[in-house]
Order: sequence, then structure tokens, then C-alpha cells
Amino acid sequence: MSKKPTAGPALHKVIMVGSGGVGKSALTLQFMYDEFVEDYEPTKADSYRKKVVLDGEEVQIDILDTAGQEDYAAIRDNYFRSGEGFLCVFSITDDESFQATQEFREQILRVKNDESIPFLLVGNKCDLNDKRKVPLNECQVRAQQWSVPYVETSAKTRENVDKVFFDLIRDISSRKKQRQMDVKEPAKPSPCCQLL
Amino acid sequence: MKEFDDFNFSVDKYTKELTRECVGGSDLQQRKKEIEAYNEQTSAMLKQTCKKNYMQFIQTAKEISHLESEMYQLSHILIEQRNILATMTDGKTTSNLKADSIEAESSAATEDVENSQATRAVKEMVQGFNGNLEGKTFLNEGALIELDANDYRPIQRVFFFLFNDVLIVCKVKHDKRLEFLTEYDPKRIAVINIKDLDGVKNAINIITPDGSKIYQSITAAGKSEWIEKLEEAFRFDQQKKPKKGQAPQPPNRSKQQQQQAQSKSATPEKLPEQSPTDAQPKSLEDETPEWLSTASEEIQTLVAQRHFEDAQSLIKRTQEFLSMAQPKPKLLQADVIQAKIKQQEQKLTNVLLQELSNSHNRNLQIALREVRRPLKILVEMGRSRQASATLLKVCTVSLRVAQREARRNNAEISELFFCDLTQVACDFLSAFEQQPACVSALVVWCNAELQYFASQLIKHYLTKGTSLEAVAKCVERVRKPATKLTEIGLDISYHLEGLLRTTLESLIEESKQRLLDAVGRTEESWQPYNLQTKSNLKRLLLELDALGIDVRAQTTGDTWLSLTQSTVVFVRQFLQLTEHCGCLAKGETLLQSLEHLLRDLFLAHHALRPPSDMSVDPNFVMKNKIFLVDNLLPIAIEKFRKTSGRQCETMRELHTKLSRQQGAPVPRQRSVYTTDVF
Repeated sequence: MSKKPTAGPALHKVIMVGSGGVGKSALTLQFMYDEFVEDYEPTKADSYRKKVVLDGEEVQIDILDTAGQEDYAAIRDNYFRSGEGFLCVFSITDDESFQATQEFREQILRVKNDESIPFLLVGNKCDLNDKRKVPLNECQVRAQQWSVPYVETSAKTRENVDKVFFDLIRDISSRKKQRQMDVKEPAKPSPCCQLL
Repeated sequence: MKEFDDFNFSVDKYTKELTRECVGGSDLQQRKKEIEAYNEQTSAMLKQTCKKNYMQFIQTAKEISHLESEMYQLSHILIEQRNILATMTDGKTTSNLKADSIEAESSAATEDVENSQATRAVKEMVQGFNGNLEGKTFLNEGALIELDANDYRPIQRVFFFLFNDVLIVCKVKHDKRLEFLTEYDPKRIAVINIKDLDGVKNAINIITPDGSKIYQSITAAGKSEWIEKLEEAFRFDQQKKPKKGQAPQPPNRSKQQQQQAQSKSATPEKLPEQSPTDAQPKSLEDETPEWLSTASEEIQTLVAQRHFEDAQSLIKRTQEFLSMAQPKPKLLQADVIQAKIKQQEQKLTNVLLQELSNSHNRNLQIALREVRRPLKILVEMGRSRQASATLLKVCTVSLRVAQREARRNNAEISELFFCDLTQVACDFLSAFEQQPACVSALVVWCNAELQYFASQLIKHYLTKGTSLEAVAKCVERVRKPATKLTEIGLDISYHLEGLLRTTLESLIEESKQRLLDAVGRTEESWQPYNLQTKSNLKRLLLELDALGIDVRAQTTGDTWLSLTQSTVVFVRQFLQLTEHCGCLAKGETLLQSLEHLLRDLFLAHHALRPPSDMSVDPNFVMKNKIFLVDNLLPIAIEKFRKTSGRQCETMRELHTKLSRQQGAPVPRQRSVYTTDVF
């Protein structure tokens, strides 16, 4: 516990959102532990931290796995406020979960008040392509509307699992750097002035 | 007649042989009759076999349903056990919650206590908190460590109090005192379980309106408890007490069967088709209607198919028809048919009685329900007495089985017994209202059952060496429901008293001896009683108050009672005993022996004297005696009267005698002992 208070690697906070049962926890656990959890137990709210190497730089990823169930909707705002990037997950075998993404997107935009917040639309369970209920082009159209990337994943086969997380933290990281620059730039003139 | 069974039997050959053998018409007639008789016998036998098989089948089906219900019970018990185990393993952490769901009522009291304790704790311990906590439900409390959200460095030690609608966060200061930091509404905070991976263990993240905070619990169990409790607070208004689903009830098989049987019996309505008016004109020379000649067969079939009601009504109809048609000489075979019907009637009765006696079940209610159908028919057939006798036998079995089971499960057997008795009596009276002979059978039966019950009671509850307290409790429990039976017109209290009397008397005698022995062994110091502390004295005074005696007048100083210790002990014991005796004395028969017990015990204690070699203050000895006579005895008499509702003459006499005595011997005693003291 008594670690040095030195500034550790950058911490990026990712939040998993989406309806109940679409596979948020399965994706998270696959990413964290390389394992697929078959049995379903509704999540309340779990958070995970992991050190990863992103483009040669060590960063920490903090994943908040939220509850999809409707009865937690009231406190979702609280969770969303702390997020820096969002994986909005639905199941390609469940049209309702796809429709629900619209609501999640709206709620996130309302809470964060930022149209360009790092955000990925994730169609999970792509290994069950034969049971697909949501046509691919519909997903792509929606992603385009929101101007966010669309990725199909499978927590079971680990397809694109790392990709969605890394794409998201890369986005978060670059935005942070961008902002630091923005902050630093107006600061630069002051030493100039002192020189003068 | 063996040749009929032969495989190559041919009718022509047999007839030819028969005619060759026989001499004259009369012989042939004789043979014909024999063959007819054989025919009838065979058909009867066939039907009997059929019925036997059928009964066997029903028996087996019953057995199966019985087993099934047992399986249900078993699974029920297993579920219960599992629930108990679950509560136990969850242990302290969730015991409050679980208790809620199992029996909300009993835990309500403890919950209240917890609430008030927690509220007080918060008020006393937390500096700077002045919110109102009245009416809130306490959920959890505990110490946690607040961590830095980024690198999990510990920041400070905190203490949480969680109520249903407020989470109070306090800082633990260096002197272990708590300082109020802030409070949150549990409905507006979000709890995140931080999965243990690297660095941090047992931590939760609480997102509050002031931002996200990380708290660490010392144990993993503590963490999961906090997550659960915060969740509970979050949902408190939505679902106050999650009730567990009832275990599946065993389906009521016997009822179903009965319904099936009833519906079966309702279906065959062939009888009206063959009404006498239709059938009569058919045969000209013989006016016996066809339905009448086949009635006997029909009845057999109906019985075999268990359509007892139909069989009974057919019997009734034939009998009525025959008695009406009696004067008509044209009815051939009337006597034969009548005899046959009579036989069938007898058979039906036997079958029904068999049914009745088979219906004993472990559950009296079920047995009584099963019995109703055959009972009704038997009553209609005028077989009430046989039916009542069988019914009572069935009830006896059920009753005794139920009691045995209750005893094994440590359940209230007297309550059960009298309830069952009432049940039987009610059912019985409604079935045999019009038969006074049957009602007296019921009375006899009740007495027999009562005797059995009393013998069981004596054997298992009133054994030798049972304390009077236990005896009093037991007898009280029996008496109360017994008197209730008078409501349905059964007065068995007196009989019951009679049955228990000898046992109770010997028990009273035995306790008397035991108590007197104990008095004899008393070691008395004849010194005032020092209770050492004020609170001890206070407690003793309150205890005696509860028993109805006030000894405040005897206190001296802060901790002294100017009575000996054994006097005080005796006062307590005697008053308790009076209460138990009073309880037992509600029945008149025991009054005398109980009075004697109290009197002898009192006298024995009153007669205690200090040994001659002990130096004591005779005034103090006297004071104790006088206290016993003047204070204790009247209170005891009054108490006895109140509990038993009877006067206690013997004790009164004792009182007057002793108080008269007291005047005289005082100076004499003083003169004896003065030399020792002064």
C-alpha cells in the first residue's frame, strides 16, 4: 500500500455499456484474463485495472463493467461521468439490444456533453453469425451517423477483443495528449513575456 | 362338473350323454338345476376375481400416491434444511437480511434494537453530526480505508454508518474518535466492485455526487457485505423485504382421487332407461321386469366398478319394488330375487366397511375426508352402528399416529390431541346425528382415547422426579383445551382429572418429600443477608416484587436485608411453589394434597431453629419467623386463591394458629437465649 506517490503510467478509464446479456462482462473478462465465461450472471458494477503497452508506452486501463439491466438506469449517470471512453456493446443476435444502443449513446452524450467523446459501437457474438438478427449494413449506417467506428467482436473466439479496447484507449490517449498541448500552448507565451 | 373345463368339451355330446344317463324327467330336472347352480357360481367367482384384481390395483395406486406425497414432504424438508444451511454459511454477514426473509416478524424486534443502538452510537460517537436518525433502518457499519483513486495510496481511515436512506461518512481521528465528514443519499451513489488484480485488494469504488472515491475493506467478506448492503439501501424502497418463495406444496392426492371417483360414479346413467314401466309389458306370462331379474348382476357390477352410490340406490329400488309387488302372485322368482338382493346388500355393506377401515391415514383430516363417501352410503343403508364402530377405529389409528409423531417432533401434543378429538366429534356428530346409539358409541370412544392419551401423558411427561413446575405447566396445557371441548357438548375434564389424579398425587407427594428433605439440609447462619452491592439488592427487591412480596421494609443500609439468606431463598421458593400448586389446584381433586404440601413445607421451614451451640440474636431469629408468618403466609394464601380460584383452608388455619402461638413463646425463647448474648 505504501507505494511511492510518483506519477504512474497514464490511466485511461473505459466504460462498457449496453443492454443486459449482450456480453459486456464476457468481453471484459476475455480481455483481462484471456478466458471465456460461459455462465451468465448479471453484473452490478465491477471495475478492473490492467497495465498494457500501447504503441510502446506503458499505460493503465481501467475498465468499468456496468449493469445492463434496466433497474440500474437511474445511477448510470454517475458511472458515465467518470468515463473517458465508451464501448457501446450490443448482440448481433438481438435486435432489441441494437435499438437500445441509441439510448445509451444519447445518455452518454448528455452526461459528457461532448460529441466527440471516444466511443466504439461493438457488435458482439459475431461467432453466432447464423443467428444474426441485425444486418451488418444497418450497424454500419448507425456508426456512420454517429461518426464512430463499428467493430464486430466475439468474446468466445476472442476475435477483435484486443482491437476494440486498444482502439479505444488509443483514441482516449491521443485526445488527452491533444488537450495537454492545448493547455501548454497558451502557457508558452508567459515565459516569453518574462524574457521580454 | 369337471368336464366343463375340458378343452374338447362339446355341448351336443354332453347333452346326449346326460339324457342317456338320466332316468325320467325329474332326474333331468335335477341335473338342470345343478348345472344352473354351477353356472351362477362360476359367474360369481369370475366377478369376484375381477373385483379382487381391481381392488389390488386401487390399493397399489393409493400406495403410489402415498409414496409420492412422502417424496414431496421429503423434498420440502430438504429445501428447508438447505435454507438453514445457507443462512448458517452466510453467517454473521447476512444474518440480519436472511432472518428478515425467513421470519420478518421475529427479527423486527431485534432490528428495532439494532436501530436504536446504532442511532445512539452515531449520536454519542460522531462529533459534528446533528442529522435526525429517527425512523431509519440501520443496515451496516464499519471501518474502511479511503484510497487515492489513481494509485490506490491510502489517504485516511474512515468509518461508515449505513442507514436505509443515509450513508454517514466519518473520519477516524488519532484518538480513535469519529469526526463527521459528510453524508450521502444511498440512492444517489453508485457502487463499483473493484476486482482484485494488481495492487489493491478488497476495494470498492463509490461514485458520489462529490466525485468517485475508493474505499478499502480489511477483509473480502467485509467488502462483499458492503456491496450488498449498499445495494440493499439503494433498493430499500423498491423491495423492502424480499420474501423467499414457498416450497411447493404436496398436491392433495386423496382429494383428486375422490373427485375422480365421484365423477366416475356420476357417469353411468343407464338405469333410468330400464324403468319398470318399459320393462313390464315385455314378458306376458312372467311379470318380473327384466331390470329386476338382472338387478343382482347389475349390483355386482356396480360394486366391482366402485359405483357404490348407484349400487345402493338400485338395491333400494328393487327392495321397494318387491315390497310393493308382494301381494301379486304373478311375480315368479320374487323370493329368489329377494334373497339374492339381500345377499348383495350384505356384500355391499362388507365392501363399504372394508373401504372405511382401509382409509386410515397418517393425517386425520385426510382420513376423515376419505371416509365421508362410504360413511354416507352406509348410513343410508341403515348400517350406522357398524359404520360408526369402523370409523372410530380408523380415527383411533390416525390419532395415535399423529400423537406419536408430534411427540417425536417435540410438538404440542395436548393441543393436537384435543383438536383432533374435536374434529372427530364434529364429523361424527354431523354424520350420525339421528342415531343416539352411535352418539353413545362416540362418548365411549372418547373415553377410551382419553385414557390412552392420559397413559401416554403419564408415561412421557409426568414421569417420576418431574418438578412441580413442569407438572403444573403440563397439566395446565391439558386442561385448557379440555375445557374448550365443552363448546361442542363434550365434557371430559372431569374424566381427565380422574385419570391423572393418582399420578399427580404421587408426584405431589414425591416433591413434598424432596422439598422437606431440602429444608432439613438448609444451613442457616442466622445472620442478616448482605448482598454486597446496591444493584444486587435492587435486583433482589425487584425479583421479589414480581413474585408479589415487598421486603423493602426489611432493608437496612445500602446492601443489607435484615432477614437471613435462607429466609429470602425460602420466600422466593415458596411463592413460586404456591403459584405452581395454585395452578394444579384448579382441579378440585388435588386441592388437599397440594395444601398439605404447602403447609408441611412452611411448617418445616418455620420450625428451623439455630443449633444450641451457635451464638445468635434470638430477636433476629424471631424476626425471621414473624416475617414468615405475618408477611409471607397471607401473600401466599392470597396468591393461591387467585391462581386456583379456591380457598385454601388449611393454610388459613395454619396462619391463625401460628400467629396466636407467636405471642406466647417470645418471652420464653428470649429467656433461654439471653444468657448467650448478653
